[in-house]
Amino acid sequence: MAGLVTTFGAGAMTNSIGEIRDVDFLFVIGSNTSEAHPIIAMEMKRAVHRGATLVVADPRSIWMSTIADTHLSLHPGTDVALLNALAHVIIEEGLTNEAFISANTEHFEAVRDAVLEYTPERGEEITGVPAEKIRKVARAYATTKKAGIYYTLGITEHSHGTDNVYALSNLVLMTGHLGYASTGLNPLRGQNNVQGANDAGASPVFYPGYERVDDAQAQAKHEEAWGVNLSSKPGYNLNEMMKKAGEEVKAFFIMGEDVLLSEPNVSRLEAGLNDVEFVVMQDIFLNETARFADVIFPAACFAEKEGVFTNSERRVQLVRKGVEPPGEAKPDWEILVALANACGANWDYQSASEIYDEMAKHASKFSGISHKRIAERSLGLQWPCETKDSEGTVFLHEHGVLRGKGQFQAVQYRPSLELPDEQFPLIMSTGRTLYHYNAATQTRRDSGTNAKQPEAFVEMHRFDARTRGICDGEMVSVWTRRGKIECRVIVSKQVKKGCIWMPLHFAEARANLLTNDVGDAVTGTAEYKVCAAQIARLEPETPRPERFPGSFCRDSEPV
Amino acid sequence: MSETLRLNGKDVAIVPGESVLELSRRVDVEIPTLCHDPRLKPVGACRTCLVEIDGMHRLVPSCATKAAAGMAIDTNSERVVRHQKALFALYLSDNVDAAETDDTSAPSELHAFASKVGAPTTWPKMQHKRFQRAGDRNPYIEYRADRCILCARCTRYCEEVESVSAITLAARGSETTIATSDNRSLLDTTCELCGGCVDVCPTGAMAEKKPLSLSLLPARELEKVRTTCNYCGVGCQMDLNIDRMANDGRGVVAKITSPDAGVLPNDGNLCVKGRFAYQFIDHADRLTKPLVRGEDGELAESSWEDALRIASEGLKRVAARHGADSLSFVSSSRCTGEENYLVQKLSRAVFGTNNVHQCAAT
Repeated sequence: MAGLVTTFGAGAMTNSIGEIRDVDFLFVIGSNTSEAHPIIAMEMKRAVHRGATLVVADPRSIWMSTIADTHLSLHPGTDVALLNALAHVIIEEGLTNEAFISANTEHFEAVRDAVLEYTPERGEEITGVPAEKIRKVARAYATTKKAGIYYTLGITEHSHGTDNVYALSNLVLMTGHLGYASTGLNPLRGQNNVQGANDAGASPVFYPGYERVDDAQAQAKHEEAWGVNLSSKPGYNLNEMMKKAGEEVKAFFIMGEDVLLSEPNVSRLEAGLNDVEFVVMQDIFLNETARFADVIFPAACFAEKEGVFTNSERRVQLVRKGVEPPGEAKPDWEILVALANACGANWDYQSASEIYDEMAKHASKFSGISHKRIAERSLGLQWPCETKDSEGTVFLHEHGVLRGKGQFQAVQYRPSLELPDEQFPLIMSTGRTLYHYNAATQTRRDSGTNAKQPEAFVEMHRFDARTRGICDGEMVSVWTRRGKIECRVIVSKQVKKGCIWMPLHFAEARANLLTNDVGDAVTGTAEYKVCAAQIARLEPETPRPERFPGSFCRDSEPV
Repeated sequence: MSETLRLNGKDVAIVPGESVLELSRRVDVEIPTLCHDPRLKPVGACRTCLVEIDGMHRLVPSCATKAAAGMAIDTNSERVVRHQKALFALYLSDNVDAAETDDTSAPSELHAFASKVGAPTTWPKMQHKRFQRAGDRNPYIEYRADRCILCARCTRYCEEVESVSAITLAARGSETTIATSDNRSLLDTTCELCGGCVDVCPTGAMAEKKPLSLSLLPARELEKVRTTCNYCGVGCQMDLNIDRMANDGRGVVAKITSPDAGVLPNDGNLCVKGRFAYQFIDHADRLTKPLVRGEDGELAESSWEDALRIASEGLKRVAARHGADSLSFVSSSRCTGEENYLVQKLSRAVFGTNNVHQCAAT
C-alpha cells in the first residue's frame, strides 16, 4: 500500500480481474494464487490455456508452478536481488521503454545505477535462480506488451517488504507496462475488505481517501466536517501497537481480529496484554484474544448486515442482509454508534448507506459512489469515481501516472533479519491454504473444510527429514527463538532443502508463536515469511493417519 | 455497416466471432441447450440446440456453429420442433420424473426445457446402468447417477476452468458415467471442492450434500439475495439462498449459489470457501449476548446497556489516566467500509488519537 502510493500515487491493483484472461505474460511472485485467490487463479489458468506465458517466482513449488513455463525458485527473502537482476538485464539489453520513461517517470538514473551491479550471475549467487532463467524471463517480460505482475504477501510480509514493492514498480515503470488493459502491477488483497478498510481511513497516517493526518489542510477539513479538534500526530501502526502493548498502549479496542492468532511473536504480545488495563472486543465468535477482553460485544456476520466491501480491483460492492443476527447480536456499525454515543459523542446514523455518504462527501476518490448507484449497476463501481455520472475506472493510469510522474525508487538487497545458523538451521515461512481462512474461526467450524484439512502441519524436504530421523506423518516439535509448537510433518516436494513451511490457521499450533515480529521500515508489516527454526521428532509416535490432505505433491517414497 | 443474417425471418446484425446460439440469446430468441456454458468451449454434445439453416442438409448445433453473413436460420421450424420433442422425450425416459426434482437440489433445466418444447412424458422408462460412486465421504458434493445426462459440463468445467480434472467421463455406451480416478472419494483426488460441477449441472445430478438435520424449502422456493463473499479480496458476487421462515423467523442460509457466468468479478465461479463454508453463520458458538468480565475474572453475559456503560467508562478511564494516545483501535479488513470509517472516527473524533489500524496495510 505505502509502496505503491509512493511510486504510482494509488495503492491498489492497477488493472482488473476480468482482464487477466487476456494477459500474454503473467509474472506471479509471492502469491500462492490457487490457494489464496482461487478465482483469480481460474482467470490465470484460462490465460495459460489460451497460450499465455506464466512465470512463477516462489521458493515453494505451488500448484501454479506446475503449469508455469518457468518457475523461479528463489531463496526466501531474496526478492530484491531477483528483481534488480531482471531490471539489470532489461536495461543492459536496451529493452526499456524510453518514451514512457521520459514522459511519465522520474529518477530513472538512480535505479539504472543501483541495478548495475546486479548482474544475472550475482542474482544467481544470491537467489539460487540460474542466470539464464533470469535473462530469459527479463527479455520475455520486457518485450511482451500485455505483461502483468501479480503479487501478494510473499512480497510484502518481509522486513524489506516495501523495497520489494519498489523493485516491482521499477520493472513496470522502465517497461511502460502501465495504463492499458491486461497489464500493470497488481497486489491481490488477502481479505474481503483490505482495500475498503484502507480507503475508509483505518490507518494511523491517512484520513478516509488517503489524505495524511499531518497535512494541516486535511486536518482542518476533517475538523470542520466532524466538528472537533483532531490530532496531527501520526498514530502507531499495528506492529507498533502490538509491541507497545502494556507499555505505551494501555487500552485496546479490537473489532473482528484475533490478534493472538494473527500477529507475529504472540508470546511476547500475550505478556504485554497482561499489562494492558482495558480491552474491548467485538466479534462473532470467542477467540484467543477474548482471554484478555473486559467487554465483548456480539457482532453480526456478513450475511446479517448491510454495507460495502471493496475488492482488490477497487470495486465497491454491496453486502446485503439475508438473515437476522442470532440472539442479541448486532451489526458492527450499530455497536460502534452505540459505543461512541456512550462515550459522549452524538452520532445519529440510521443506515450503512448514510455512513457511506458521509465518508464519500469528504473523499474525492469515492465521491461519485453511493449504495443506490451500486445497487442500480449490479456490478459495483471501481474507484476513482469522482462524480455522480462517472462510470468508475477499470484500469488506472490511463491518462498518465496518477501521481503526475511515476517515481523510480532505487533499492538494494538486504538479507532478511533472522537468517539460519547452527542452532536454527531451517528457514521457516508461513502462509495460507485453500481450505482455511486466517484465524479459521469460520472454516474450522465447517464440517467440510475441516474434514479436508483437520489439523496443523509443517512441510519439510525429505533430506532435512532424513537427517533428523523424521518420517512422513509423524508428530514433530518446531521451535524458534520465540516459541515452540507441536504438529504433524508432511515430507513434501513443495519445499526446498533447508526450508519449512506451515499454515497459520490453527489455534492449537499457532505458527505465530514462532514468527518474527520485526516490521518493515515503512509499513510495519511483520516478517512472517522468513525466520530461523529447528525441528525434531516427538516421542512417543502418535498413530499416523492413512491419508493426509493438504499437499498436492507429497513426497511419499520411502526415505 | 455490419453484416447481417436472417433469424426466424428477421434481419439481425452479426457480432464477429459469435455462435448462432450466442446471437440468438443476444436478441432474446430462446434455443434450448443442456451442454453449453459460456465459460466452456462449445462441444455440441447434447444435440438439443439444433437449428435449421438454409442450404445445410442436416440440422446443426447452434452452440458450435459460427454465425455468418447471409445465413437464414430457423430455430422453430416443424423439423426442429419434431427433433426437440423426440430428443427430450428420450432424455426423460432415462431420467427421474419431474416430481423428484422438487428436492433441495438445483431446479432441473432438463425438465424445464422438456416441458417448454412439449416433449411427451409417457415414453417407457429405461433402467439406467450408470455406476454411482457410493459412500464418497467428501462432505459437499454428491453425484446422483440417475439424473445424469452425460452432457459433460461438470467434467469440462473441472478441466477447462478449475483445471484440476478430478472427475471424468468413464466407461462406455449406456454405462458411461462420471467418475474419479479409481473411484476414489473426491477428498482423495485433485478435487479442490470448488463446487463448479454442482453449479454447471443442468439436471441436479451433481448436487450439494445437505446436513440431514435441515428440512428446508425446495431450491426453487428459496429467496436469493445477491451479496459479496466475506473471505478473500476477490469480492466474488454470490447469492444467499434463504428460507425466510426457518429458524423461528430469523431465516436460514440454505445454500450459496453463484450468479450466472459473466457476472463480474468472478464470472459465476466460486471456491470451496465461498460456496460451501457457510455453516459458521448458524453455528452454536456464535456470540449472542454481550459479555463482561466480572470480579471473579470470568466472562459473564450482560445487558447491552451495562456492557456499553462499562466499555465506555473503561476506555475513558484509561484515556484520562494515560492520555488519548494510550488507546489503540484495531479495526478489521473483514468488516465493511462503513464500519472501518466509524472505527477511525471513534478513534480520531471521539478519543483524539490516530492510533487506528488493521492487519492489512501493506
